[in-house]
Amino acid sequence: MSKWKIYTPDGVQDILFEDCCMKRSLEQKLRALFRSCGFNEVETPSIEFYDVFASDEGAMPQEDMFKFFDQQGRILVLRPDITVPVARITATKYREAAYPVRISYIGNVYRYNDYGGGKQNEFTQAGVEVLGISTPESDAEVIAVAIQALKASGLESFQVDIGQVEFFNGLMEETGLSEKDTAQVRTLIDHKDYVGLDEFLNRSEIRDDLKKLISGLPGFFGSVDVIEKAEAFELNKRSRDALENIRQVLNILEDYGLGQYVSVDLGMLRGLSYDTGIIFRGFTYGVGFPILTGGRYDKLVGEFGKECPATGFSLGVNMILMALQRQKIEMEKPGTDSLVCYAGQGRKTAIGLCAELRNQGLVVELDIAGSTAEEAKKYAAAKNIGGVIRIVDEDTVEIHYIQSEEVIRVKISELLKR
Amino acid sequence: MRYLTIALSKGRLTDLSVELLEKLGIDCSEYRNESRKLIFTDEKSRIKFFLVKPADVPTYVEYGAADIGIVGKDTLLEEGRHLYEVLNMGFAACRMVVAGPAELAGKLDSLNNKRVATKYPRIAREYFEHKRRESIEIIKLNGSVELAPLVGLSEVIVDLVESGRTLKENGLVILDTIADISARLVVNRVSMKMESERINAIIEGLKQQLQG
Repeated sequence: MSKWKIYTPDGVQDILFEDCCMKRSLEQKLRALFRSCGFNEVETPSIEFYDVFASDEGAMPQEDMFKFFDQQGRILVLRPDITVPVARITATKYREAAYPVRISYIGNVYRYNDYGGGKQNEFTQAGVEVLGISTPESDAEVIAVAIQALKASGLESFQVDIGQVEFFNGLMEETGLSEKDTAQVRTLIDHKDYVGLDEFLNRSEIRDDLKKLISGLPGFFGSVDVIEKAEAFELNKRSRDALENIRQVLNILEDYGLGQYVSVDLGMLRGLSYDTGIIFRGFTYGVGFPILTGGRYDKLVGEFGKECPATGFSLGVNMILMALQRQKIEMEKPGTDSLVCYAGQGRKTAIGLCAELRNQGLVVELDIAGSTAEEAKKYAAAKNIGGVIRIVDEDTVEIHYIQSEEVIRVKISELLKR
Repeated sequence: MRYLTIALSKGRLTDLSVELLEKLGIDCSEYRNESRKLIFTDEKSRIKFFLVKPADVPTYVEYGAADIGIVGKDTLLEEGRHLYEVLNMGFAACRMVVAGPAELAGKLDSLNNKRVATKYPRIAREYFEHKRRESIEIIKLNGSVELAPLVGLSEVIVDLVESGRTLKENGLVILDTIADISARLVVNRVSMKMESERINAIIEGLKQQLQG
């Protein structure tokens, strides 16, 4: 009956002292950054109706979602992402707001078998969405915030790749391939499956120059030159506009002074089913999964009753922590400065002293076990606490430094002046 | 410089893979000399490589524990991992097929309830459910799959066929070909971006070797 009680289910984790401290401090940095850029944070429910994620535009494979029923038998899901709920909020609760609306969030999402979450079933996403505007400046702003977020996290070497789904859509329009074939080509290119792609192209009737371009598409990534390489081909307006769009966004990012972090990938296609324009992904060393994904989704908000262009990104907080650890980048760790202990009459003094020291910003533990000085020192050493403060009388304390084993006696009034 | 890590499949692909790496100028002497080590290093070109069971190669590469892998297409199809499949290395060529008793030839559709014995449940399911739009019962086996239809465990099998001799000797025929199989070079999605220069050099080098 209680066979599973000491275990956690697949794909979820306890996050313990050090990791939790690092995670909170990262979340704090991200929250401060988002706020300073004018984003307002929202909290959406962990539980949503299945229908929210089953609409045409935002469709997520149903087998990837955690599902259950409410008391009326309606299907509920644990939210698999927060972008879709933000679209729902914008279309229903900020219908009349002055656009653009800038929204940010930090929260847990739940998916089975997810690649984006580093194969975890529960993970934390932090992200921003800019709704109600479709300028290249808005795409660039979102990418800039994403890069600043990675920098704020402490990562030094990372890269953000930018693509544009309309470039590929324009190509497919030109070839006249069926929807099913287009989907297949999209997957082949996204997997950089040169072999399968060539097999497919050999079987299909497509203009020779287009064939050449499509077969090379998986390799169209790198610096801005990629855009020129693509422009050398005869393209329709849709594809050309898409390339021009990428160029505009790159130029704006130069103005931000962030040009060195971005590169182009015209073969990046998969992303999410609701992508409609610029899409991007972030990478770093040490984790084999993208640490952030984002892009434009102009049709999604319309699913909830108000046409509204939008763009945004989300980054995987757990994955960034993993990258920081693997790259051996120092992060804040939880530490306690002092342990205050007392004997008999000293309790009131000890409690008062704790309060004073805490007011000064120190992390202070009060001994609640009635320890002797020796026991207290042992405990402090085991817990990596800097020192033990023993109450001698109402005015005097004895400080035992754990590392240096030094012991000094000082007046409380002097100690508080330090 | 970071080490680039390559995962190789243990078994029939090993020798061919190592030979190719040597032709690219990667020092594999540690592998040639020592048999107990798990990871072999070429300090000069900052490359590490290791051998694992073929089915594990895509896993190592997907998680980024290896940047590059050499593995059969059969394994890639069965594992269904998020990877870049960048090069057909051509060797170890064979076919993934549906096979069964000769009397089923051309009558695969007429069979109502199909039990399919295979070492590749995912490939079999994918083929029957998506290509043929049929529901089937998968019977997972770990070897000698050809035996299953002979003793009534299943109607048909899905398996790799090289020459077709085993099938023939057991009175089985190929009913349909699912895919052509050969060794492939796969790359982790992040590594492809973060180490694109070095990885592309390896891909180009291999391409030349394979053409030459």
